[in-house]
Amino acid sequence: MKEREGIVLSGLGELVLPYARPLLGIALALLVSAGLILARGANPIVAYAAMLQGAFGSVAALANTGVRAAPLLLSGFAVGLGYKAGLWNIGGTGQIYLGATTATVVGIIPLPVPAWLHLLLAVMAGFVGGALWMLIPAYLCAYRGVNLVCTTLMLDYVAGHLVSYLLHDTPLAAGSFYPMSPLILPTARLPILVKGTSLHAGFVLALVLGGVLYFVLHYTPFGFRTRMVGENPEAARYAGVDVVRWILLVLLICGGLGGLAGAGEVLGLKLRLFDYFEGFVGFEGLALAIMVKGNPLGIILAGIFFGSLKAGASRMQIVTGIGAPMALVIEALAVLFVVAIGFGERGGLARLPQKKTHGKEG
Amino acid sequence: MDMSSITNWLQASIRLSAPLVLTSIGAVYNERVGIVNISIEGSMLVGALAAVAGTFFTGNVAIGTICAIAAGGLLGLVMAYLTVTRNTSHLVAGLALNFFALGATNMGFALLFPTERARVATYPVLSPAELRGVPFFGPVIFNQTVIVWIALILPLVSGWVLYRTSWGLNIRAVGDHPRAVANAGLSVFRLKYVAVILGGVFPGLAGSALTLAELGYFAPNITGGLAWIVLAANNVGKWNPIRVAAACLIFGLTDALQLRFQALGSAIPYQFPLMAPYLLTLIVLFGLTGRAAAGPKTLGLPYDPEAV
Amino acid sequence: MDQSADVALRMVGITKTFPGVLANDDIDFELMAGEVHGLLGENGAGKTTLMNVLYGLHQPDSGEIFLNGDKVEIPSPREANDLGIGMVHQHFMLVENLTALENIVLGLPLDRPPLLDLNPARARFKGLVNEYGLGLNPSTPIWQLPVGDRQWLEILKLLFRDAQILILDEPTAVLTPSQAERLFETIRRLADKGRSIVFISHKLREMKEVADRVTVLRDGHVVGTVDPKEATPFELAQMMVGRDVFLDRRPRLPSESKQAVLEINGVSCQDDRGIPALKDLSLNVYAGEIIGVAGVDGNGQRELAECIAGLRQPTKGIIQIDGKPVSGVVHDPSLLGFIPQDRRKMGLVLGFSVAENLILKKFVESPFTRRGVMRWDAIRREANALIQEYDIMTPHSMMPVRFLSGGNQQRVVVARELSGKPALVVASQGTRGLDVGAIESVHKILLRERNRGAAVLFISAELPEVLALSDRIIIMFEGQIMGELDGESADVDLIGELMMGHREAAGMAAGGAV
Repeated sequence: MKEREGIVLSGLGELVLPYARPLLGIALALLVSAGLILARGANPIVAYAAMLQGAFGSVAALANTGVRAAPLLLSGFAVGLGYKAGLWNIGGTGQIYLGATTATVVGIIPLPVPAWLHLLLAVMAGFVGGALWMLIPAYLCAYRGVNLVCTTLMLDYVAGHLVSYLLHDTPLAAGSFYPMSPLILPTARLPILVKGTSLHAGFVLALVLGGVLYFVLHYTPFGFRTRMVGENPEAARYAGVDVVRWILLVLLICGGLGGLAGAGEVLGLKLRLFDYFEGFVGFEGLALAIMVKGNPLGIILAGIFFGSLKAGASRMQIVTGIGAPMALVIEALAVLFVVAIGFGERGGLARLPQKKTHGKEG
Repeated sequence: MDMSSITNWLQASIRLSAPLVLTSIGAVYNERVGIVNISIEGSMLVGALAAVAGTFFTGNVAIGTICAIAAGGLLGLVMAYLTVTRNTSHLVAGLALNFFALGATNMGFALLFPTERARVATYPVLSPAELRGVPFFGPVIFNQTVIVWIALILPLVSGWVLYRTSWGLNIRAVGDHPRAVANAGLSVFRLKYVAVILGGVFPGLAGSALTLAELGYFAPNITGGLAWIVLAANNVGKWNPIRVAAACLIFGLTDALQLRFQALGSAIPYQFPLMAPYLLTLIVLFGLTGRAAAGPKTLGLPYDPEAV
Repeated sequence: MDQSADVALRMVGITKTFPGVLANDDIDFELMAGEVHGLLGENGAGKTTLMNVLYGLHQPDSGEIFLNGDKVEIPSPREANDLGIGMVHQHFMLVENLTALENIVLGLPLDRPPLLDLNPARARFKGLVNEYGLGLNPSTPIWQLPVGDRQWLEILKLLFRDAQILILDEPTAVLTPSQAERLFETIRRLADKGRSIVFISHKLREMKEVADRVTVLRDGHVVGTVDPKEATPFELAQMMVGRDVFLDRRPRLPSESKQAVLEINGVSCQDDRGIPALKDLSLNVYAGEIIGVAGVDGNGQRELAECIAGLRQPTKGIIQIDGKPVSGVVHDPSLLGFIPQDRRKMGLVLGFSVAENLILKKFVESPFTRRGVMRWDAIRREANALIQEYDIMTPHSMMPVRFLSGGNQQRVVVARELSGKPALVVASQGTRGLDVGAIESVHKILLRERNRGAAVLFISAELPEVLALSDRIIIMFEGQIMGELDGESADVDLIGELMMGHREAAGMAAGGAV
């Protein structure tokens, strides 16, 4: 049997292909959605034009897009980092809730520290909150081989109810008719970047974090180990990585990133912790990570796209009468098409194979 | 706690676990052929909306049920296409479909019921006079809506099919060793397709059980992650339809607790019983470690028929 | 063989390509009734593909199949079964959680559909088992069946369907020599009763034993059809490989050092299922020698290699490399170079590039990482140097390693492991699945390491290469060392006996310090 020394893709192809797939998926989604808009009796061109206006047409619009995108980016990173390690972090929702809660706790207490430190502490509290919520699923996955998808998913639902309880019956409740926390103190708020808008520093934080993540993944030993574990845990073990502890570490960081997503929302936009405020941000982050296979730069681009959909949706509703949920439909179709186009190579681990006999390093 | 409150609690749990049990019937089949089907949540969701919509526009609960089955089955068909034909990662396909169901039902709900929640007819209660009088079992089991009766009977039928028919044998074989099944001259493709579509049909039916059994309306995200509890139940029940249904009933017990607590007006805040089913699932998963390796051997793995 | 036999099967002009590979190139194949016809060739010569075409698992690009003179189409195994063609594959097609009987009836038409009525099948099962003296119980679940019995069950499957043409693909791969003998007897009996059998193997010796005729395939085409009793092994080997194959032993330099590089003392360990895999095993390997570990795969060889590499924790005993006890994964590239059994699972990260794989164990060291940042220019330079030295064929060092051929992937593993000039080299089934060229280069490299002064532990289920390379040969059976023989004077039959666990035949102390 004569084997061609396998060169499947040319050099250019290798470079382009990772980006081609999400773009193609998005294009198809927009096409199909155009059809849906048409079926509703509106003109898709007009609808999309309105959307573009609402997302990019003015400074206020751009700010709106940024505001919407910020939590999506962070939520996407939370999933994406895990994806690179071969792990499925579906706990975004829960991490957002918990991170928002811990950030709120720090943010409403007047601390005798300079403003920037108060903010920093609140943000760090958000990170810690998300990481703590990940502790049990991470431990169960790394040390017991329990399915990470199930555990994180269950805690998502628990988190929402837990926060709701906190907002009803504990000192965290502001005591008004609507379940919410006291206002975040001015010293703990994320600064607004553009006057007159609600675009807060969380957006910049997300962008920077994305760049840092990309660098870490591809230019540091930490990233090398993480990618190794994601590709082949057996080989990683042989190469000297304590796979079990590594998984725990990576998952905790993922949890922290999710916590940051929640913290950003509370410290930058909403300025209070509200009952069941999360919406679908956790799942949207998951969708983003899936679309670009965890690539942080891709998450930034796709996240801004999602943000623009949401920012533009209200304008589209005003102009054409097509409801705001359309944005979610486009997002969902985009993910679906990207997945349909091709996601066959990697299955990813949701559960670790259990090794009965361990070397010293587990 | 007196006898009547216990029977009330049990009756409520059976009613509330009906959607779980119905979902589990499909879930057993598609996991038996080796597909991890996360999209059962999405199927339940679209089924729930379709049931309400169908009943609303025709005034007929039966038509609503058929709509639910069709909607769930359609989602199952897409799942089958993605996982069997295209060999997509099961997790990814399931998550994408769930996300899609979320968007689609939100959009659909906003379109169909833009104003106040419409209330539609619900399933009739089936309560034969002779059986109702039976002590304890009478009020608990024999005083439920039609859909709950169906939910209680179907696992038995499913178990018979799986273990006593040749199709059931094929299903049991294909998840463990698809190549052996192909070798025996059977169509792995067809077996998997049917199983995954069932994995959409039954959650769809469960969706109608959710909305039409007592509520009579749909609200966005009404399923709240229930279907995923079935995945844990699959593990507990070792992919045996009857045992899995039993596990679902136990989960239903915790779900019914929330109603009990509300009724008692107890000091425990209402959010805690809401958390109970999920926490219970978590504990169950924790307890299952070590046995987690049991189950169809190719569960979650791709199948390439042309591979040498 | 019946002189006036009919032609049971004729395959004409079969061509089959897979992406990038021409598996079958215009092959003609003929099978007489009542004949045992061997298909001989190396791994990858196209034997299995040809039979998969016959069995309907693959569709040929061109060519025709004639059964008893009539042209037939075989689009799937179902049609093959209907036509009386049955196949036993290299990897068993048995569903573990079902019983023997359930596996047999899988896919068979029912008496009373859709009901699964096993009684008539059970009676037939018992009848056939008695007729052929097989000793199988229909209610045993497969996971409880030992490997040899599974083989018989596969054959029983074919008999159940009244297969007239039986295809056996490498059936002796998991059998001990005596089990193989029984198999040959049964095959001859089946042939005498009029069934036709195609026997696929890459082992010359077996062809001589059991086949009436042998067709040799090489690189996807037919080289010739011969009578194995007349052709010499050398002729057959040459047909298989296409050039002079040295089945002789390699020239070796006498080993000087008496320093034990690898010391294994009373080691026991368990396999993945908790069953004892090594039982109180002791072994010393010295610098400048090759120890070949022979034995049927699955007798603890893999676990032995893993214990030495520190991937598996022994339950008892001590292993030392160069005087340093092994505890945990051995990282020091100057101590151990480990070529694992399954390069795809353990040896390589398929998604990584060639360069990343080459530095897999030293990525933290300078110059590859400096001040916490990885330097890809330094990494590429090192990778290119290794690519040169070990003859790895790849367009560039950043190519994902999964696109490389099996032989080149193995070269990457070897390059990485040996570049540190380790004191001990452990090669576990290192030539499995490779073509002859790649196998040759692995052998050459192992000899080079030996001559450099390394201690080499060479584990292989292929007896010919163990015989060709080793200074000393040890035979493993069920986790113990059955015996140790000198490489030069080793008696093949004796080795065979020891592989089956017959200590008495050895007449020498088994196990113990070597």
